[in-house]
Amino acid sequence: MARAHPRRAVTAPSVAPVGPPAAESPGWTATARRRRTTELGLLVLAGLIICGAYALASLGRNASLPADIIPFLGVILALVAVAHLAIRRLAPAADPLLLPVAALLNGLGYVFIARLDERLAGLQASWTAIGIAVFIGTLLVVRDVKVLQRYRYTAGLVGVLLLLMPLLPGIGRNINGARIWVAIGPVSFQPGEFAKIALAVFFAGYLVERREVLGVATFRVGPFNTPDPRQFGPVLAAWGISLVVVIFERDLGSALLFFLLFVVMLWVATGRVSYVAAGGMLFVAGAVASWAFFDHVQRRVSVWLDPWADPQGAGYQVIQGAYALAWGGTTGVGPGLGIAGRIPFDETDFIFAIIGEELGLLGATAVLVAFLVLAGSGLRIAREAGEGFGSLLAVGLTTLLAFQAFIIMAGVTRLLPLTGVTLPFVSYGGSSLVANYMLLALLLRVSDQSARRAPDRVLVR
Amino acid sequence: MSRQIRILGAVILVAYAALFVKLNQVQVFQAGAYNARPDNTRSLQRDFNQPRGAIVTADGEVAARSEERRDALRYQRVYPEKELLGQVTGYFSFTLGSTGVERTYNDQLSGRTPALELRQLKGLFSDVSSEGNVVLTVRKDVQQVARDQLEERPGSVVALDPRTGAILALYSNPAIDPNLLSNNDTEQAAKAKRFLDAVPGKPLLVRSYQERYFPGSTFKVVTATGGLTSGTVTTAAPDYPVVTSYTPPLTTRAISNFGGAPCGGTLLVILARSCNSSFAQMAVEQLGPDPMIGAAESAGFNDVPPIDLPSAAESVYPTDFGSVVRRPEGQAPVYEDSPKLAQTAIGQNDVRSTPLQMALVAAGVANGGRIMTPHVMGEVQARDGEVVQRYEPTTWKESMSADVARTMRTAMVGVVQDGTAKVMAIPGVEVGAKTGTAQLGTQPPRSHGWMIAFGGPPGEPSRVAVAVLVENLDGASEATGGSVAGPVARAVLEAALAVTS
Repeated sequence: MARAHPRRAVTAPSVAPVGPPAAESPGWTATARRRRTTELGLLVLAGLIICGAYALASLGRNASLPADIIPFLGVILALVAVAHLAIRRLAPAADPLLLPVAALLNGLGYVFIARLDERLAGLQASWTAIGIAVFIGTLLVVRDVKVLQRYRYTAGLVGVLLLLMPLLPGIGRNINGARIWVAIGPVSFQPGEFAKIALAVFFAGYLVERREVLGVATFRVGPFNTPDPRQFGPVLAAWGISLVVVIFERDLGSALLFFLLFVVMLWVATGRVSYVAAGGMLFVAGAVASWAFFDHVQRRVSVWLDPWADPQGAGYQVIQGAYALAWGGTTGVGPGLGIAGRIPFDETDFIFAIIGEELGLLGATAVLVAFLVLAGSGLRIAREAGEGFGSLLAVGLTTLLAFQAFIIMAGVTRLLPLTGVTLPFVSYGGSSLVANYMLLALLLRVSDQSARRAPDRVLVR
Repeated sequence: MSRQIRILGAVILVAYAALFVKLNQVQVFQAGAYNARPDNTRSLQRDFNQPRGAIVTADGEVAARSEERRDALRYQRVYPEKELLGQVTGYFSFTLGSTGVERTYNDQLSGRTPALELRQLKGLFSDVSSEGNVVLTVRKDVQQVARDQLEERPGSVVALDPRTGAILALYSNPAIDPNLLSNNDTEQAAKAKRFLDAVPGKPLLVRSYQERYFPGSTFKVVTATGGLTSGTVTTAAPDYPVVTSYTPPLTTRAISNFGGAPCGGTLLVILARSCNSSFAQMAVEQLGPDPMIGAAESAGFNDVPPIDLPSAAESVYPTDFGSVVRRPEGQAPVYEDSPKLAQTAIGQNDVRSTPLQMALVAAGVANGGRIMTPHVMGEVQARDGEVVQRYEPTTWKESMSADVARTMRTAMVGVVQDGTAKVMAIPGVEVGAKTGTAQLGTQPPRSHGWMIAFGGPPGEPSRVAVAVLVENLDGASEATGGSVAGPVARAVLEAALAVTS
């Protein structure tokens, strides 16, 4: 709907100049000041909630605060403060909601990780430190999102390479039935988490460039008018490769996520519902095919339909997750008072079940709402950014964040078949945390730029 | 593009709304169903991950306590008295469930009664757990005497206070060590359970209140009570003929006295001598089925005693004796099953009783006809010792009128003074008793030896009632019950009297 905002016709195939934002509007500093004050206030609030939850969890578990864990909590709160200062300096006009909500989720996740496994608490604090470092680094390096647009094909290539890495013999690692890990020397990580961002950058850059062509139906297939198939060859290739790779890596959650990313971005860029319809058909075909060809897919589906068919085996995790949630009831049994250690991967994929048990429906809903706030802020940033690359990138990143959270929460509650992905910012895991902080930095960069250029257009001041 | 973004926002909102609905379904609407699923061990796990109150005997010995282990399950249940009190405490096992007091008073022990929870709420900011300690009425010292006296013989001892129903001793052989089954090493526990299920003799069954036996001559107390209550029998009449056997109508099978001895007389005499012929005749000619059924049922037969232990067995007395065949003048009508009626009068045929039930029969006589509800819990204490729950004695059955009870008391005291239960005489104590020898077969002759008794200072209400059963003895004479079960009952009675007031 390019007509809706005729005054912001950015995006030409040519690359915009890189450097300090060219067309800053003089009134942006006032907006920036207000936004940073809001952010600080919200951060203080998030910090209080985290400390309260932490104190309660420690009381429940050990009846006293374990002294050796408190410093890590301090580290996390200090890191968030550093991130806030970095935003003040590097993206002063950016959206004020993203960092506090992410910090709240990160802190809450930390509390539950510390409560489940004290050893992982220190590690998660370290991952948070690296995450914040990457967050600041991203804000420092990407002073203008247009830079990324210039490197769209590089991003696409990097994304595909990252996805392929776990399949390489020697460095790829098969862990828990999925081949999504890479180990280089002492460092092991999940490159797929970063590949998502790279692919979002690629899709955004590519689609903004080809939007006009892709949006016009010039080619007939039977009764349908479709754009020239050659136009979206590269997109299809990138999508196909990612899909094939994740199926080989047995990472169904990521496969679903990539697919959604692709379809959503294509549709948002062109406004053509036929892409969604085609995507839906492709999805059904892919789902049926993978169900027919891969027994691990069949297992997931049958466990989803009836986990009690094999309560001690395949259905165990899902059943215990449901029992944990049910045990929590409306108000939860209290932080630290749940029965930990029953659910496999409770600190990563199933942390939402632990939160649901100990904080109840109220706490689980709070997490749900937190992700909704992130999604809402992301989409608002996309709208504030007008029609260009930044807007589409924000759509892509928000889609990743919102649907990754949805996929795992739906899996844990058995709304959908379980596919193991992390709950962004909450689950234990370095790759996921660092990648999501990077994602956050990019969203903030887009937001900062649009607020500086047109402060009168930002919806939240 | 902003239109698509708005729609995308709406799609995300709908997806999350669906998630919220699903969360409500799992956490609220179906939570009860999930929690109750048999494979859901969460409530059990909670119980094993929090401190659990102790079970303490009336004389202050710890019968069960929780030890912190910090394994997968944080607490392990330990029974320091092993077999001695295992049948009262029961066991508390992660995989095998729980029995005994552990089961009946689970809410108290784990601190989930309103009274205990309220106390915890008051101490919200201090570190107080809410578990309660259960103080039993059972005494370790009396229990120990019961066990020492029974030795290794299969049998049961029940001792209680007739005035309140408080059980002082509840022991039977074989007894098992509950530690075997409460082991948190679930494989070891399962192995022990498999073994105990496989060995003969059903050691997991608590015979004192879960197994039924022929009560034999001890049941004559019920028959006599029926006779007195119906008014057809008094201490003066009838005067039953001194005979060696009685042949009921409609059969040629005679009911003989032990050893073929001639036996007969008025009520006090026939009870003291335990005349089979006279009681069989009384049931058939003076009472008939309905008064007999009435006497048995008001004593607690055909009803599960409301004891605060799980799976108590119901003692049984037959309720169907066919229809009336003829109505002799001056006697009860003759029924099709009058021969059976005659046998039930002496505690044979289809009469079955738990040792607990026979103790309650004695208790009823001792307490003026009022059988109090038997119970093992005395009180529940919070951690600081404050009593939060006390067992309030209630009447379970009115087994006879106070008048009949006075007569029966005299009759049973007579059994000790000048009858088959002379072994029960304790100097300075007024003891009433009744022996029993329940025949199991004649080739070779085998029997259960019984003794039921009550005792207390002369002229005061009795303080203790006991029932002792020693199973499956060689031989079968009227002396068997008295000579085998008698010393056990006497020792237990003495021990219990020494510590009660």
